[in-house]
Amino acid sequence: MHPPTTFALRDAEGRERQFPPDGPVLLALVKEDCDTCNLTLPLLEKVHQATEDGLDVWVAVQKTDDIPVLKERHSLTMPLLDDDALDLSYETDIDTVPTLFLYDEQQNCTLQTFGFDRHEWREIASESMTLAGRPDRDTQIEWDALPVQRPGCGARNYEPGVYERLQALKSGDLLSRLVDLAASDDIYEFMYEQGYTDGFPVVPPTRERVWKMLQGTQRDPQDDVAVMPPNLAPITVEKIAINAVMAGAKPEYLPSIITLVEIACTETFNIHGVLATTMGATPVGIFNGPIRDRIGMNYLHGALGSGNRANASIGRALRLCARNVGGSLPGGTDRATQGGPHRMTMNFAENEAASPWESYAVERGFEPTDDVATLMAMSGGPATVADERARDGRALAGTLAASMSCMQDPKSPMVDTLVVLSPDHAGIFGRSGWSKDDVRECIMEETSIPLKDRLRSDDAGCGLPPGIVEQFGGEAALDMPIAKFRDKSNIILVVAGSSAAKFSTILGGWAGGAYSMPASSKIGV
Amino acid sequence: MVTQILDPTDERVPIKRSLTPRPEALHGTIALLDISKPRGDKFLDRLEQLLHERAPGVETRRFMKPTVAKPAPEPIKQAILEECDFVIEALAD
Repeated sequence: MHPPTTFALRDAEGRERQFPPDGPVLLALVKEDCDTCNLTLPLLEKVHQATEDGLDVWVAVQKTDDIPVLKERHSLTMPLLDDDALDLSYETDIDTVPTLFLYDEQQNCTLQTFGFDRHEWREIASESMTLAGRPDRDTQIEWDALPVQRPGCGARNYEPGVYERLQALKSGDLLSRLVDLAASDDIYEFMYEQGYTDGFPVVPPTRERVWKMLQGTQRDPQDDVAVMPPNLAPITVEKIAINAVMAGAKPEYLPSIITLVEIACTETFNIHGVLATTMGATPVGIFNGPIRDRIGMNYLHGALGSGNRANASIGRALRLCARNVGGSLPGGTDRATQGGPHRMTMNFAENEAASPWESYAVERGFEPTDDVATLMAMSGGPATVADERARDGRALAGTLAASMSCMQDPKSPMVDTLVVLSPDHAGIFGRSGWSKDDVRECIMEETSIPLKDRLRSDDAGCGLPPGIVEQFGGEAALDMPIAKFRDKSNIILVVAGSSAAKFSTILGGWAGGAYSMPASSKIGV
Repeated sequence: MVTQILDPTDERVPIKRSLTPRPEALHGTIALLDISKPRGDKFLDRLEQLLHERAPGVETRRFMKPTVAKPAPEPIKQAILEECDFVIEALAD
């Protein structure tokens, strides 16, 4: 707590009192529903009576409505100041009432205390009499009849909700433009009308909520995190926090959301293209490391959706940042022909314990103890692969390959593809002693078909242009086997879900290469 | 009751842009920008041929974005600005 130097508050009669007054002053901060305050207010009144004009005794009350109640209850005549707005309480940063500050003639705070300690209060009363020039006068306080000690009560400025509101209003942390609503506005309808939402309602980003959200990161609210396409707008930690509130996120998710924004705006991931493409791609977030449990992400039943707040709101927050800050709007620069529900949010954690292999993050060079987020651009899926009969890795890889061979169309080769294996399917590979590369190589082999069958024809417009045969060496290459995927490294294997049944999921990538590549980063603080 | 919220957008004030004044006739150099979508080159080939037939004396210069997925790199935009009087961009699909 800090003794105040200057302030102005109105007393019960509406008269403004400027602090400091001339001469010594005893300042107290109290609230009505505090037994210790009620114990001590008569003492302060007695000091006020005894010091007469030699010293001012001012009592700041933390609620307007409590002033007449206290005045009547204790027959108080000393000035009761209205600190309902808690300006004084915030400035002094008191966490307990009653709190006392005693100032001498030079406005130096010479004594201070909180709660009730008989010895300290007696000393303050005595010093007050001295400062008032009446050191020998009796305050009429029967000190021996009072308890030795009583704890104070929590100050109103530290009550849940109130503290956040005060910080949001007074800390100066928040610089975003304030949007005023009319009393007749329905806040949720208003946000729809402003185009702030993805189609579902959003949580109103009040200053209190945004300030509270910002407590989830150690970063400065005004740090520039990235330049967000397509409008190439600088996006600050504060703007991310606003959109995180709207998405329904909790403060502890904020570092993950900031990291996803950073990844999304890299040249490697290229969210500009991901959200602009007519294919309707979307970023898919994959989380590894201890953070999965720390923030309560779901990697068990229903890991890919729905029902988990962290999974859902982290992905949604990224999309809202792209929409509201980046300006990616359907029909505008978002040219998705059809889109899909996974474009609302697509974000999950890997079930590392159920995987027979190292985690995806470790595969990408991170430590098992690192908190890691990865973004991949996906335009297809999720599509279920059902195989409840396979008993070994070979049979299961065959099923995956057959399912993956028709992604996008049956002829065209693809790049990145995400295979989310269920624990039961992953366990089959584990028991068969298959590595990730064994699975990938089998899929490459099983999806290989002659080049001639990958060429477009009069019967099917999809596939490679016939002229491409020359690049493979002419007609002699027509029977050359060509796999569905350009390289086995394009097949990404992770494990998620619960041990419920032998179903896995595949999600088709977007374009790969210079367009967009999976990108990972450690999650910051 | 909620009376104020924080603006979730980039807070840019929309800037009204006016079109560059249209010249009376074609002259100088026309940039033909291929954004790297399939068959964009075919479209521009034909356009270039027609321009040479119908606007003799007008020169054309071809440009190509490295990828359709990203905005044109600064050097390409700068070259078009400095070396050309017009630009025709072949959009996709």
